[in-house]
Amino acid sequence: MLSRVAESVYWMARNIERAENNARVLESRLIHALEVSDTGAVADGDWEAVVEICSSFEDYRDIYDDILPETVAHYISFDRTNINSIVNCIEYARNNARSAREIIPQELWEILNDAYLTIQNQNQSYWSMKKIYAFLQSIKTLSFTLQGVIESTMLREGAYSFIKIGKWLERGEKTARILNVVCEKTQEQEEEIQTEHYYYWLSALQFVNGYDAYLKKYPPIMDAEKVLHFLISYHQFPRSIEYCIDHVREAVKELEGGKVSHYSEELFDALDYVSNEFTKIKFQQMTSEEIGPFLDRFQNNCNHIGYVFSKTYYLL
Amino acid sequence: MLSNYRTAHFFDEMMEAEKRPRPHYEKFHRLLQTFSLEDLLEKHETAQLSFLRQGITFTVYHDEGGTERTMPFDFVPIIIPHEEWNTIEEGLTQRVKALNLFLEDVYNEANILHDGVIPREFVENNPYFYAEQATGLDIPHNNHIFLAGIDLIRDQNGVYRVLEDNLRNPSGMSYVFQNRFVMRKVFPEFFFKHSIRTLEHQFSYLHSALLSHVPINSVAKTYPVAVLLTAGIYNSAYYDHVFLAQQMGIELVEGHDLMVKDDVVYMKTVRGLQRVDIIYRRIDDDYLDPAEFLEESALGVKGLMEAYRKGNVAILNGVGNGVADDKAIYAFVPEMIRYYLGEEPLIPNVDTYFLRDPEVREDCLSRLNELVVKNVGASGGYDMLIGPQASEEEIESFREKINETPEQYIAQPTIQLSRAPAFQEGRFYPCHVDLRVYVMSGESTYVLPGGLSRVALKEGSLVVNSSQGGGGKDTWVLREEAADA
Repeated sequence: MLSRVAESVYWMARNIERAENNARVLESRLIHALEVSDTGAVADGDWEAVVEICSSFEDYRDIYDDILPETVAHYISFDRTNINSIVNCIEYARNNARSAREIIPQELWEILNDAYLTIQNQNQSYWSMKKIYAFLQSIKTLSFTLQGVIESTMLREGAYSFIKIGKWLERGEKTARILNVVCEKTQEQEEEIQTEHYYYWLSALQFVNGYDAYLKKYPPIMDAEKVLHFLISYHQFPRSIEYCIDHVREAVKELEGGKVSHYSEELFDALDYVSNEFTKIKFQQMTSEEIGPFLDRFQNNCNHIGYVFSKTYYLL
Repeated sequence: MLSNYRTAHFFDEMMEAEKRPRPHYEKFHRLLQTFSLEDLLEKHETAQLSFLRQGITFTVYHDEGGTERTMPFDFVPIIIPHEEWNTIEEGLTQRVKALNLFLEDVYNEANILHDGVIPREFVENNPYFYAEQATGLDIPHNNHIFLAGIDLIRDQNGVYRVLEDNLRNPSGMSYVFQNRFVMRKVFPEFFFKHSIRTLEHQFSYLHSALLSHVPINSVAKTYPVAVLLTAGIYNSAYYDHVFLAQQMGIELVEGHDLMVKDDVVYMKTVRGLQRVDIIYRRIDDDYLDPAEFLEESALGVKGLMEAYRKGNVAILNGVGNGVADDKAIYAFVPEMIRYYLGEEPLIPNVDTYFLRDPEVREDCLSRLNELVVKNVGASGGYDMLIGPQASEEEIESFREKINETPEQYIAQPTIQLSRAPAFQEGRFYPCHVDLRVYVMSGESTYVLPGGLSRVALKEGSLVVNSSQGGGGKDTWVLREEAADA
């Protein structure tokens, strides 16, 4: 397989996953906003967190002074200047697919192209929150459909592995980013009463669609330690960081036919390094002060894996 | 359905006279009557959407960048009876053979120039004549034309004539297949009643023609590695490239996917470098190799030409083919056929006048309103004057251009291009059509049955190019037995 094509499918998968994750984060914030009286500094802080998770608050600030729910929703969903906006992710994914068309399933291309054309033909400037909400759901459904096509039709060959690696890396990084932002928020409000924390940890779970799963394992008390454990290393939860990294490793192993060659050694080393970090924290209690640096390190390590990965397969 | 359809003084592919179809269209005509207008509108819509959804688009460039568009599809097919097709097949095989001999000749001994059959300056002043880069090359089968697209038209008497040869990067083959595919999906009824030459298995011919061009120094002579070189997703014919690569099962590569090391071409894969034997390139000569053509080209591969010259890689179509398919050389193709093959051309040209000749020029300038004027270096319907349809200003501006650089222009009588019914906006009306036929060559030559029928959907327009609002039709070549059935 051509390196360029491998890179295209890798980024296609990342962009699809990113669109889905951003849609979910925004959606869950919108639902919450409907449930509680949603004004004041706390609410502003929450919208800020959403922007920080889905793109960059600094970039947002360059354009807007206010944090209005509508503005944020439009910025994350439709703003072309926001490189991580959902419509941009879909367009990138579609162009990635287009330059790998001859090796991906025809249906995968058609569905992605269809979604892209639909978005192109809409003028979303004045969409109400209700319409945006429906849009977010359609993006999630799109991602599920695309993953279904990949699982049910693709040959288990190189391209499939590259798609998987892109997807799991993106997902793991996003969970880390969510935790990072949430940890910062809880620290900012250290003086506040416990109920505020409760609310933050709850939203962290909701952002990754893990609340229901969490309730099956733990009582409905948002204990920081338990939530962190659940999202970082609960191996049965398919969005926990450890689960994602293990799957990246599996996909790489598959690609390499189960062997570590000299050229793939560095990549396996980088993956091992991250796994070891997890093993360490499993056995120690971390406070929310310690968890921040850990997550920073993890995000850097993910970047490093991405870099070594690209180098290994000549994607640079 | 076609009760208000008028053939006027044009040759109509389908209707012999008012309300009377030609014999080979009778069945189709009968079937058409069984559909209601609503049916047809719905089917028409389904067909257009199918193209869009599959991303079968081409890119049109304008000031604000590029837009992806689909080529409009019209469901009234062009049906060609068996015997007529035989003539086309033979005539085009003959023509491509002569054109290939011409290319081999001008880049070697140039006998045809020494013998004065073609004036030397027509070749030597041609901007696509790459003497320096392409002279004396030893190429597989001495074949320069792996894939040709020959454009045919029919005049008011129904006589097929060659309008243009495309020997560089003829596009549109994917549409032949997609038009058929969509037609089968939307109008399965038609196919039960007709026995037509199938398009299945055609790629095995193209594929084996491609692989027969193994370069002499290949180390994988039995299983050579072939790739299709594209300019990328922003190229207007990108879908065509994707389709061909997919159907032939070869890698679709861009310039930066390839590299040349020690005069050998490699592609960059996730497992390192892999040697490439045959490159079917769909980028122009100018962009092929920055070391020998345009220095700023980012689409090509540095050192490619040297690898080609050394016999380490084959490049298809050959480098420098442009000298044989420009609009001036075109006029000499009948002479080439006589010169190289000692045969009479089976399919005539359209008469062509050279405006460089003062007498001819004077005559033509006095009647520009009845002629078609073309820039010999342009393609895609650009820089072209259609006299009978042009305004006074347009004619004047061409008069100036011709006087400025007369050698740049040729003129042809305005042919009353044949027409065929097209169903657009809920009614049938006559539109001008032409036919691009694809000829593939390797060890032997093979003509794809049918081809791409292009239709000028703007009522009265003569321009069929997709970049200028043209559309496509399915083309059916009837089987022999079907003729009497």
